[in-house]
Amino acid sequence: MSDWLRHHRALVPYLFLIPGGLFLVLFFVIPLITTISVALQEGSLGTGYRLTFNFGIFPEAIARWDEQFLRSLQFGLIVTVLTMLIGYPMAYTIAFRGGRYKNILLLMVIMPFFTSFIIRTISWKFILADQGFVLGTLKDLGWLEPGFRLLATPVAVISGITYNFLPFVVLPLYVALERIDPRLIEAATDLYASRLQAFLRVTLPLSISGVFAATILSFIPAVGDYLNAELLGSRSETMIGNVIQRLYLVNNDYPQASALSLILMFGIVISIFFYRRVLRGQELTI
Amino acid sequence: MTDRDRDTQIERAIVRVFREGRYSRRKFLHRAGRGSLVAASALSLPSILAACGIKPGASPSASTAPSAAPVGGGETAGVLNFANWPLYIDQDDDGASPTLAQFTDETEIEVTYTENIEDNNSFFGTIQPSLAAGEDTGFDIIVPTDWMVGNLIRLGYLEQIDVARDVPNFVANAGDKYKNPSYDANNAHSVPWQSGITGIGYNPALVDEEITSMGQLLDPAMIEKYTGQVGMFSEMRDSMSLALLHNGITPTEATMDDVRVAQETLQAQAPHVRGYFGNEYAQGLADGSLAITMAWSGDVFQLQLENPDLQFVVPEEGGMLFIDNMTIPKGAQHPNDALAMMDYVYRPEVAAQIAEYVNYVCPVPGAQEIIRQHAAEAESDEDREYLEAVAESPLVFPTEEMLSRLRSYKVLDEAEEREWNELFGEVIQG
Repeated sequence: MSDWLRHHRALVPYLFLIPGGLFLVLFFVIPLITTISVALQEGSLGTGYRLTFNFGIFPEAIARWDEQFLRSLQFGLIVTVLTMLIGYPMAYTIAFRGGRYKNILLLMVIMPFFTSFIIRTISWKFILADQGFVLGTLKDLGWLEPGFRLLATPVAVISGITYNFLPFVVLPLYVALERIDPRLIEAATDLYASRLQAFLRVTLPLSISGVFAATILSFIPAVGDYLNAELLGSRSETMIGNVIQRLYLVNNDYPQASALSLILMFGIVISIFFYRRVLRGQELTI
Repeated sequence: MTDRDRDTQIERAIVRVFREGRYSRRKFLHRAGRGSLVAASALSLPSILAACGIKPGASPSASTAPSAAPVGGGETAGVLNFANWPLYIDQDDDGASPTLAQFTDETEIEVTYTENIEDNNSFFGTIQPSLAAGEDTGFDIIVPTDWMVGNLIRLGYLEQIDVARDVPNFVANAGDKYKNPSYDANNAHSVPWQSGITGIGYNPALVDEEITSMGQLLDPAMIEKYTGQVGMFSEMRDSMSLALLHNGITPTEATMDDVRVAQETLQAQAPHVRGYFGNEYAQGLADGSLAITMAWSGDVFQLQLENPDLQFVVPEEGGMLFIDNMTIPKGAQHPNDALAMMDYVYRPEVAAQIAEYVNYVCPVPGAQEIIRQHAAEAESDEDREYLEAVAESPLVFPTEEMLSRLRSYKVLDEAEEREWNELFGEVIQG
């Protein structure tokens, strides 16, 4: 065996890929093919489904749920911008000013993951309840109208998603910023760059890979998220994830649900593709 | 509010979110601290699995020839596999059910009791493949809701039973409303386990009028002042049925046109609605974020133990009675044991024991007197107050007048169900 490996050294990396590759085939490729196949079937749970290659389902689904698609996209973009505005300064501070507290600060960033996503979101429901701890107190003090509410508004849903995905943004940004040699920034200031210029022309471009990873990691799950809209929102915050969830689990309309999932997936892939090109261009011009 | 109360409240709310149907609430007040998140985490896995198992051409109508003779009339086998909803039977502090233990002592039938029905449709998804293939599901008793019983009968998936011969306690002790229901003529396949009412719940601290009619929940002009504090159900059958009642239609006789009009009623109300909830509506009613909402009787009964001001009404136009039924799936291995269980729980003293724990609408009116006795004999004041509340609550033992205003759900065929769901989907998700 070892002899064989020695003679076929070029194959070793591929051997290492086998476990991960099998995993991907089993849990990504096969489900993806199944999803495509289900989307193209017609029928019902009782009478069974037949593959009819009903490609018309895609335009139909887009036309029927365009509002929810746009809303998901809009929420996803807002969340990405917000997480970036909150996360970048946070990661920057930890990376350059964290000193010996770096590890503790990072631990605090990932601390929320010690509790389940769902439990954390339900907790927000309690914290933000109309007569709850926060709003109830403010109302009692007369600082808010008695009828004021946060739950069942877009603010609650967007805040919920932002909160839930913030750690996904901070960690890649931190990794990218941590890698930057502080002497480069020093050199920039020595060469008469202002602090702002040094940031814009040295730090930011060097951290762009982290920015890319971070925005992707917040945008994708945010667009597909349904839990925050389900728990913190109402009818007018329905996202595409909620529609897919209901079509799958309540209406048993598997073809339409699969079609919507594919459209969502395809849309995300396309937007990332363009986003990547834009960032690359950015990298060259800076 | 003490810390413990708050913990309980949070725990209940969490469990509510997990459960899809109306089945989260039982006995959380009195058995607080034992909430079973583990059971809840199963979420909708069965239906996801069911989704993977789509079998093109698996036509259920192939196996629908109903067997001519009812099962039963033979020797028990000493084994019973019972599938029920979570928290739907009495439990002692160790989690064991006294009712089941007594049943085993008396009949020598060992009961395997599983709480794996979380939702009618997803449970159907798990047993459908076996039934369609003509195989045993592994269960001797399953507890589907009335409309699902109708579906199962239509598909030929239930064994016939002879209640006169094998379930004499049902004939003797069940309330009239539970005999010969619209979904199962002459109880030829089912006897009720527990039932409940869908009506209107409201918080008089936030609603300064008496609620008596459906219009006060559904009419945009009347509900406008509560905009953002109005709750509705995400459960399609419940919301659509109330809208049908509001429009003067008996749900069991609704035509597709009636349903479209009902959908318009709901659409007109939608801008004022805060949300379309599952079990979590009860939390909203308790914490004051909902002033008026659709409600299930059992929830409001339990909330009233905390806040006696909360009200539950069956509107003038009517309310909905949901009945969960014990049925024997086709091909069950131990039908005689299943019938023995059905007969056993219709003894008034057993029905009382279950009602004391479950707080649903009890199908055995005679249980009321027994719970009163238990209250009189209770050892602690707390127990006595609680048992009196159960015995005297119209939400557990409704008055005749209240029962007479309750209607049943329409049994929908698959095409109807899809259309109703699509129409309702437009209401709740825009």
